[in-house]
Amino acid sequence: MSDVLRARGLLKTYRRGRAVDGVDLSVRRGERVALLGPNGAGKTTTLLMCLGVVEPDGGTVEIAGHRLPRGRSAAMAHVGFAAGYLPLPERLRVGEYLRMFGQLYGLADPETQALRGLERFGVADLVKAMGTELSSGQKTLIGIVKSTMHDPELLVLDEPTASLDPDVAMRVRTGLAALCEERGTALLVTSHNMVEVERIAERVVFLSAGRVVADGPPLEVAARFGRDDLEEVFLHLASERQASEHTEGLRP
Amino acid sequence: MTAQGFESAAARGPVRVSRELAPWLRILAVARRHAYVLYRSPHRLFDVTVWPIVDTVLFGSLGVYFVSQGGPGSPAQAGVAYLLSGIVLWHVVYQAQIAVSTGFMEETWSRNLLSLMVTPLRELELVAGIALFGLAKLVMGVGVVALAAFGLYAFDVTNLGLALLPVIAILLLNGWAIALFVVGLILRFGNGAEAFAWGIMFVIMPLGGVFYPVEALPAIVRPISALLPTTHAFAAGRDLIDGGPVPWGELALAAIGTVAVIAAALAFVAWMLRLFRRRGYVTRYS
Repeated sequence: MSDVLRARGLLKTYRRGRAVDGVDLSVRRGERVALLGPNGAGKTTTLLMCLGVVEPDGGTVEIAGHRLPRGRSAAMAHVGFAAGYLPLPERLRVGEYLRMFGQLYGLADPETQALRGLERFGVADLVKAMGTELSSGQKTLIGIVKSTMHDPELLVLDEPTASLDPDVAMRVRTGLAALCEERGTALLVTSHNMVEVERIAERVVFLSAGRVVADGPPLEVAARFGRDDLEEVFLHLASERQASEHTEGLRP
Repeated sequence: MTAQGFESAAARGPVRVSRELAPWLRILAVARRHAYVLYRSPHRLFDVTVWPIVDTVLFGSLGVYFVSQGGPGSPAQAGVAYLLSGIVLWHVVYQAQIAVSTGFMEETWSRNLLSLMVTPLRELELVAGIALFGLAKLVMGVGVVALAAFGLYAFDVTNLGLALLPVIAILLLNGWAIALFVVGLILRFGNGAEAFAWGIMFVIMPLGGVFYPVEALPAIVRPISALLPTTHAFAAGRDLIDGGPVPWGELALAAIGTVAVIAAALAFVAWMLRLFRRRGYVTRYS
């Protein structure tokens, strides 16, 4: 199966130090991958470099055969992105917002696809609501609808269910599973909810201090660290990171 | 669409426009988004209604007062027309600049920049979409000044004839070029640089020859004024007021300067955009 995302040797250094240190990350077509790691591990920087928003100091990124940064615009037609922390622009109704993004993705029928997406995630009644009238959970759902209405080959979600109650989170997982099943969409997701990751992802990539420290199916990765589940692996890596920061004098 | 039609369209999956049409669709999408912003924020009409009238009354009355101080043969007689044509033409630069600058800032205020950057939208398409809607605001703003000048002071700017069109085109391009500088500063310094959007116009206004020729300025700033393309465009406007022939010399100087200013603005914004991506400044807006 071919890769929809192929990143090789990604490097990024900010003033405070190296954020990403030689990360290789591939996602095959239709594959569901979780990018995990404690705070400051380099997850978001890696995602933003893969999306062409942040320029890497070194390494290459290719999406659906388009090399970044030159092929960014063409590549983004195959990608959807949503993040729990991104608001909906004010002064737009949900339908207007989705229509706008549908047109940005080159859709000839954005209204139809917006309705299809809203129905998939059970929020069709929100089409006329103003962005400011929505709860944070509804905003997240609309963000996910926006990022899936063009049937992307790769869907990138940064903390998609961070602000959702369990019921809505399940609706998101079900909707995403249906999308991946029906359309063969690949998923690259970051989350701090390890139970959720075990449900969604068939492969996990653990980052720590900007490096890939584990890559494989969730249970295999847990076993490799001698732990029972991903939650324990996460806690182990977070405590390791904290200990190394103490040693380096980065924390009091 | 019927329920059956919707279901079959949904099952088919999305239909995409051709590759040639896609950039135009994206530009229109951005323009429409900004039309909604104005429609739902009527206070933003202040820039294109109240402000132009205030300017017209201020400069028109100033001109009328000075005319009343001089005799019938006084050179001050032309002053009111210079001031009113100056303010009408100034609003071309002002509205073009402020529409693009605030349009871009709207994307930062609403933290929409990251969402836009992960779509196929190109940077120039974003600016083009904002500028396209900005043209509508410009027509409103300049129209209000022109109507106020006609209604309140019987000054008809259309009497200057078709020769006014190249002057307007040059001023429009200069407004967009200044906006690109402002966008570059916001990319580099964040929303703290917003003050430039309004402040820069108060620097350009006295130096840009809006109401008077270069010779009226203190000697020390005359070279700067002479370098600005707006100075020559406004000078061309005054030549037309005086009833002279089309001032090709001034227009040529203004056009050459405009090409240079636009090239510099594009280079500057491209440089700032590279820094923006390299330093990950997008996280300021997400």
